[in-house]
Amino acid sequence: MNQFEKRRHVKRHMLLALMVSVIIVVLAIGLGSVYIPPGDVTNILISKVLHIAPRADIEAVTQSILWKIRVPRALLAFVVGAALAVSGTIMQSVLKNPLASSFTLGVSSGAALGASAVMVFGLYLPVIGVLTLPLVGFLCGLLTVFLAIGFASKLDENMENQTIILVGMVMSLFVNALLTIIVSMSDEHMPEVIYWQMGSFSLKDWSNVIILLPIVIVGTIVTMRYAHELDIMSFGEDHARAMGIEIKHVKLFLIAMAALLTGSAISFVGVIGFIDLISPHFARRIFGSSHKYLVPMSALFGGSLMVISDLIARTIIAPSELPVGAVTALIGAPFFAFVFFSKRKKG
Amino acid sequence: MFSIQNVSAGYNGVDVIHDINIDVRENENICILGPNGCGKSTLLKAMTGLIGYKGQILLDGVDIATMKRKEIAKNIAMMSQISSIYFSYSVYETVMLGRYNHMKKGFFKEPSQYDKEFVMHCMDIVGVSDIGEKQITELSGGQLQRVFLARTLAQDPRIILLDEPTNHLDLKHQTELMQYLQAWSKQDGHTVIGVMHDINLALQLSDRAVFMSDGKLISDGSMAQTVNGDLMQRVYGMDVVGYMQDSYQMWTEIASDKAKKPRIHRVV
Repeated sequence: MNQFEKRRHVKRHMLLALMVSVIIVVLAIGLGSVYIPPGDVTNILISKVLHIAPRADIEAVTQSILWKIRVPRALLAFVVGAALAVSGTIMQSVLKNPLASSFTLGVSSGAALGASAVMVFGLYLPVIGVLTLPLVGFLCGLLTVFLAIGFASKLDENMENQTIILVGMVMSLFVNALLTIIVSMSDEHMPEVIYWQMGSFSLKDWSNVIILLPIVIVGTIVTMRYAHELDIMSFGEDHARAMGIEIKHVKLFLIAMAALLTGSAISFVGVIGFIDLISPHFARRIFGSSHKYLVPMSALFGGSLMVISDLIARTIIAPSELPVGAVTALIGAPFFAFVFFSKRKKG
Repeated sequence: MFSIQNVSAGYNGVDVIHDINIDVRENENICILGPNGCGKSTLLKAMTGLIGYKGQILLDGVDIATMKRKEIAKNIAMMSQISSIYFSYSVYETVMLGRYNHMKKGFFKEPSQYDKEFVMHCMDIVGVSDIGEKQITELSGGQLQRVFLARTLAQDPRIILLDEPTNHLDLKHQTELMQYLQAWSKQDGHTVIGVMHDINLALQLSDRAVFMSDGKLISDGSMAQTVNGDLMQRVYGMDVVGYMQDSYQMWTEIASDKAKKPRIHRVV
């Protein structure tokens, strides 16, 4: 197969992946306590987007369930999954570690600490109200990463990967200890904080999608702009420097981008693990390691996996719901073990 | 055009090489020789600015410490020893990465038709064009070495620095590679500086030898001027010339079909 044929082949696969993602979202929107057939889902979606009347036999309550609850929930799940997956792709390539993620550097711990402080101490800001939670969560996640990077650069001026990972892990443990102290100070808020830490898309509406969607689209496109740098960096830092990359600046920028994507995503829906770990692996298996394809395809895989996980979370014990973080962990933990042990076997 | 002046460098504040002076001219093919741990690879890293250094490393009169990485990479390419591969790319994709500094500027950098043709040319030169679609994790050490050399050539630099380039290569590919690099160094103001362990190969294919010992430069000149028994004894701590003579004798016997059995060479 020559280069031209290969590119056509990859583009065909990308188109197929996009179609599968759309089908997953449409099916997920239709499934739930009230079943809405895919034909009706498509009809309602088209009528809402084009501002035309839907088919006469579709009841108003069905339209309402779909447009006000199911669609924003599925879209938010997709956008959060995409954000986590792109963030995981960046972290794995920058840190040259297939098991690295934003969680490695303490983004989730920082966000969880900030969000918990808001819940326990009732620090909701007057104008933005409930949006205080995602805002503080995001800022604390970002702050934790910058502190970790700051310490790492003090310890090692070249900011070698092992230094960043070690400092990130130490920071994560430290922040988790603070979180435990805060939570143990308030029995009243403990269930709320614990539930938040396991992630959920319950009771989320369009406002969350409208805020998060542009962040994720811009973050993904900017990451794609750095596809060549990510490719070169995955060969090692000396290689990257020798090939003309200002490694320190690029690494800092990309880690901040990953923290932005993860921090903003989890601050809306709580901590959800493993999607950022699994999605780049799936995408890499099918599309190869070239970040030009890997970044957008990881986003699609991450989005689709999150929609499926949320579907399982809200239907498997209906009318109750499981925290989506528990579902992703159930899928992700065995996968993590598989990757780790298969690597050890090969090594 | 490339001058190393009073350079000391090392790691974590401890100098490994001390007060090195080398003046490199265009179209030279220089080998850096010396025992393990004498600082050869450290010198190469300093030469491309991968590690900090004291003194000056001047490229066309400008200290590379003041240059941007892209500017350095456009002039100096370094082929390091093969390290771990974390994620797999095809051979073509790997060589194409060498064109990073030459790709059209734009929001998404894309290779031009010239970049694609240049990459194919570099793959042809090192003999990997027939495995362009293979994943680099599926390659042998020798094939991988050639792919990384193709990537180095794809950078289209004026100076190529090589850290033990013939590691993992069989004799045929070693000779072909060194002959190619020698020819390359004679074109368009190019220069090759390589850290080598194989003295025979260096003797045959390099114009100039720089000998290092304990982080210091102890000899620099043409092969004929520098290579002698005393120097080799001092650098390697053994009778290198005697060893080579014994080898030569054996090969002479093999060539005349009189080989009997292997000998043990004397090590002083």
